[in-house]
Amino acid sequence: MRNKTSAKIFLLKLLHGLILSVACLVVLIPLIYLIINSVKLPREFLTVPPTILPSEVTFQHYQELIDDAKTIRYFRNSLTVSFWTTAITIVSGTLAAYGLARMKLAARLLAGITFIFLFIRFYPRVTTVIPFFLVMRQLDLLDTVWAIIIGHLGITIPFVTWLMLVVFQDLPQEIEEAAIVDGSSVWQRFWRVVLPIVMPSVSAAAILTAFLSWNEFLIASSVARRKASVLSIAVASFVSDKGIQWGPMAAMSVVMILPMIIFALFAQKYLIRGITFGAVKG
Amino acid sequence: MTIKKRATWHKRHDLPWLLVFVLPAFLIVVAVQFYPLAYSALLSVQEWSLTESQAPQGFVGWDNFARELGDSTFQRSVRNSIVITGGAVILEMFLGVCLAYLTMGSSWRMRAVRTLLILPMVIAPVAAGTLWRILLNSRAGLVNHLLGFIGIKGPEWLASPDWAVVAVILLDTWQWTPFVLLVAGAAIASIPEDLLEVAAIDGASRWQVFLYVELPLLMPLLLLTLVFRTLESLLSLDSIYSLTFGGPGFSTYTMTFYIYTQGLRNFNFGAAAASSWMFMVFASICIWLVFWFQRRER
Repeated sequence: MRNKTSAKIFLLKLLHGLILSVACLVVLIPLIYLIINSVKLPREFLTVPPTILPSEVTFQHYQELIDDAKTIRYFRNSLTVSFWTTAITIVSGTLAAYGLARMKLAARLLAGITFIFLFIRFYPRVTTVIPFFLVMRQLDLLDTVWAIIIGHLGITIPFVTWLMLVVFQDLPQEIEEAAIVDGSSVWQRFWRVVLPIVMPSVSAAAILTAFLSWNEFLIASSVARRKASVLSIAVASFVSDKGIQWGPMAAMSVVMILPMIIFALFAQKYLIRGITFGAVKG
Repeated sequence: MTIKKRATWHKRHDLPWLLVFVLPAFLIVVAVQFYPLAYSALLSVQEWSLTESQAPQGFVGWDNFARELGDSTFQRSVRNSIVITGGAVILEMFLGVCLAYLTMGSSWRMRAVRTLLILPMVIAPVAAGTLWRILLNSRAGLVNHLLGFIGIKGPEWLASPDWAVVAVILLDTWQWTPFVLLVAGAAIASIPEDLLEVAAIDGASRWQVFLYVELPLLMPLLLLTLVFRTLESLLSLDSIYSLTFGGPGFSTYTMTFYIYTQGLRNFNFGAAAASSWMFMVFASICIWLVFWFQRRER
């Protein structure tokens, strides 16, 4: 009897380990294979069976990307877009959230505002892409990084405001009361008392904004063609009528993915909090 | 001035400042979200094909809507969207909850496994699409090679209309199961330990505890996650763009992809706006559901 149960436990543990190993492999193998593909010789791309361990490691695809002025521009544009989107979003979103949280709005009104945030997070973005394109054309901003930044701000500002609103609402009022009694202004209270406390949440919001902006494709591809093209557009552009350029496509994907994976490994907690926000509170 | 008076005095004088705080964000959201939304509603009742004219070609009422509803590609896109989102979300929910149970605990090993498992989620969807395009190449791809090891001859993933749909479902599942894993994991961890102990003492089996104690507690959050994922999956464009580009033929056209090509490839602005507003009605119902679930959770 006793032996039977311990055997059963052993088997269950084995099964548990096995399932988790399979899950990890399913995640890891595609990523490793992508990296392998980015250092493969062109002639080893379409071999049957596939070349899993290339006969020779080559960095020619990366070299080609670096030598091409366009790649450097894509990378710079992606960085510019992410940076300005994050900076503007964090400043205006945090301020707006603080303002909303301290206005003492009626519960119904606040619920309505929350619904608007939720709506902007989830409505079919393709609806507004064409009007946005037309507006940018009118303002003569087509194919500039600012068109992309403005488009991203429309998504990230409501999201960050919502995220920070929850944070400010959970903050006990007593924290500010001493400062009120001292006669400090709203701005002083926000800057000296509240902001230092909520800094971890602000970092989470900033990381999330940079992540969203870096990965975004729809808005970028609708307003940028050549000059302002970013990495997400570049990755998609290797598939064309002339066939697929496997090597550069793999190399460019690695260039795009790697920063976010490093982000995920070092700032995991923050990133997760942002991504699951709305489903899990706070 | 007494302390109390001073506090109320401050509250009244705070308001202009607070309004100034909110103003920039408010203006940007109105300009970048609400103005385009209104503009697109206006476009949906007008005839406008950019290839024919630089300005709208006149009011046509519900014509765009009627024409789109009768369009066979539109109908196909709706069907595809239902199959792809339905398939992917069911798989994600099932796998996500299973994995959440299997990776419970705070040992370093489980933490490492969880960190690893969430990686697909942080990859840009557009790059995930190209990645799977490499893997699913029918002759030289890794997936069919591995299937060959266990004696299965893999299908022509991206060249066959049916398997291409499966490929899109697989990609969505690969990328977003981690999301369910995270949310379900957080929910499971928040179930009070003693509740489970009481059930176990009462002689309930592990399966019964799950079915009668845990599942009812998890249900609201799981439903919320389900609607969340449904919406996100319906709205995704990037991964289909780089994995199949809607092909072969129209076999992986989803609603989002269809509207995208109508508007930004064929430049039929009126038609694209009309279909996107029909899509919007459905999405709004889902959004309302999310809102409702969230309110109940609080």
